[in-house]
Amino acid sequence: MVAGVVVDASPHLLVVATEGGGEARVAMSEGTRVWDGGRGSFAALAPGRAVVVRHGMERPGADRVWVDITRVIGTITAVGRASVDVDQGPHREAVTVEIPPKAMTAVLVRHPRLEPGHLVDVICAVTPDGPRAVAPGTSQPGHRADASPQAPVDARVADVSHGSATWFDGPGFGAAYPALDGEGDAGGCADAPPGCVPLPLLSLGSVVTVGNECAKRTAEVTVVACGCVAARYCDRCVQCGTSPRGRLVELTPVAFAALGGELERGCFNAALRHDPGVRA
Amino acid sequence: MIAAVQNTQVLLLAGVLLAACLAKLVLPAPAGPGLRGRRAGVAVAVGEGTLGVALLVTSHLSVRLATSVAFAAATWIVGELRTRRPDDGCGCFGALSTHRVDRRSVLRGALFTAAALAALTAPHAGVAALRNGTLLMGCVLALELAVFGMLSPELSSFLDRRRLRRRPDPPCERRHSPLDETYRRLRSSAAWTTHEAALAGAEPLDVWREGCWRFVVYALDDEREVVFAVSTAARDATVRAAVIATDD
Repeated sequence: MVAGVVVDASPHLLVVATEGGGEARVAMSEGTRVWDGGRGSFAALAPGRAVVVRHGMERPGADRVWVDITRVIGTITAVGRASVDVDQGPHREAVTVEIPPKAMTAVLVRHPRLEPGHLVDVICAVTPDGPRAVAPGTSQPGHRADASPQAPVDARVADVSHGSATWFDGPGFGAAYPALDGEGDAGGCADAPPGCVPLPLLSLGSVVTVGNECAKRTAEVTVVACGCVAARYCDRCVQCGTSPRGRLVELTPVAFAALGGELERGCFNAALRHDPGVRA
Repeated sequence: MIAAVQNTQVLLLAGVLLAACLAKLVLPAPAGPGLRGRRAGVAVAVGEGTLGVALLVTSHLSVRLATSVAFAAATWIVGELRTRRPDDGCGCFGALSTHRVDRRSVLRGALFTAAALAALTAPHAGVAALRNGTLLMGCVLALELAVFGMLSPELSSFLDRRRLRRRPDPPCERRHSPLDETYRRLRSSAAWTTHEAALAGAEPLDVWREGCWRFVVYALDDEREVVFAVSTAARDATVRAAVIATDD
């Protein structure tokens, strides 16, 4: 997996300045699929554009390249004629998402209540004017942001929790976890809702094992951010069958793609396990 | 016999309307669009309460007709909610009605509408029906309440709320454990007594949580660190300690 900024591209080679300050060279082939606000071509790989590259499992070189992809999730605070203002929670910036007419129909189909107080989740393309919605990330939960269902107080934590995994804009290979402890240096929010999946309280640096039940891939992922906004989403993922309700984890694009997720689809049916005592 | 069954419907409807009024006022549903707004909720509750009291004190046809229309309208609204916004809950009994709207809710509304139609020509108002109560009326009312209970997810919500008031202990992985509690347990433990004299400072270097344990790290005088693991369970004050080299 590679994430960074395009330095140079040809039909056979993509050179990327990586997030760590290095440079990665990735072989390209006719089988490499490019996403650029939809199906794109190699012409989209212009120097300066941000890319996430997934290596192929069966052949060398890049399998998928996503160009300037981002995602906005949170609570709608205002609705304009072709835009919505979104509060992404205490750890992420509030943004205004432009929704062009082409995307509006698809967004409204999956978000019938595009109203203040309701949740939104859209896959966007990065533009100089801010994020521009391309497609809905997942279907809008039926509940309002301030009325998300919560697991019973005494609900036990399963050895392996099942639900959905989504992704968020974050660097490296990591995860935002929706049930971070709010005390000490754990990194959580004091007013975060408990969510509808009973999850153990963890800390930044905790390691969880995330499985993609659709692609049958598993990886250990370090918690690098607070995912308290995800705790408000008591929704399902339907990439392969219908997952139980609730978001277990938000992965960085690199981690999400490495686990076999397709960024433009927004989620995969996931299993999550935490082995006590493992901390990065 | 028919009159007794009709009188029972008056009592049933009055009871349901008053219960719905009380629930909406005491446990208002979360604010939402349209009729789910707080003011709308109060207005509906007042209307229900008025109808409930009127059913008890008068046998006027206008009250019975208004009740029938109200239940028919409620059935239609619940049917629409089931199609359009099932996850919102119907709010019929305030915050108790947050369950997904399903066929049971629609059937319940339809049965109440049928009961309201049956009660149109009931000879007595509710209070008078109570005064002239018979065994048959008691049996019919008990049967109808049992059916009402089976069709009402609110009953389990109500019982859950009562159960939650007893505050069951959450499992240690999910239990909120304040830092004060952690330090209290730590400082009254044998592990603390063992290492306290060798601590380099009073402030911990790091504090974090892993499920059932909160870890507190202190520097030691000899360049090593001691990691205390303090249980977060409600009734378990276990504290463990391990000394590690700083390089670890």
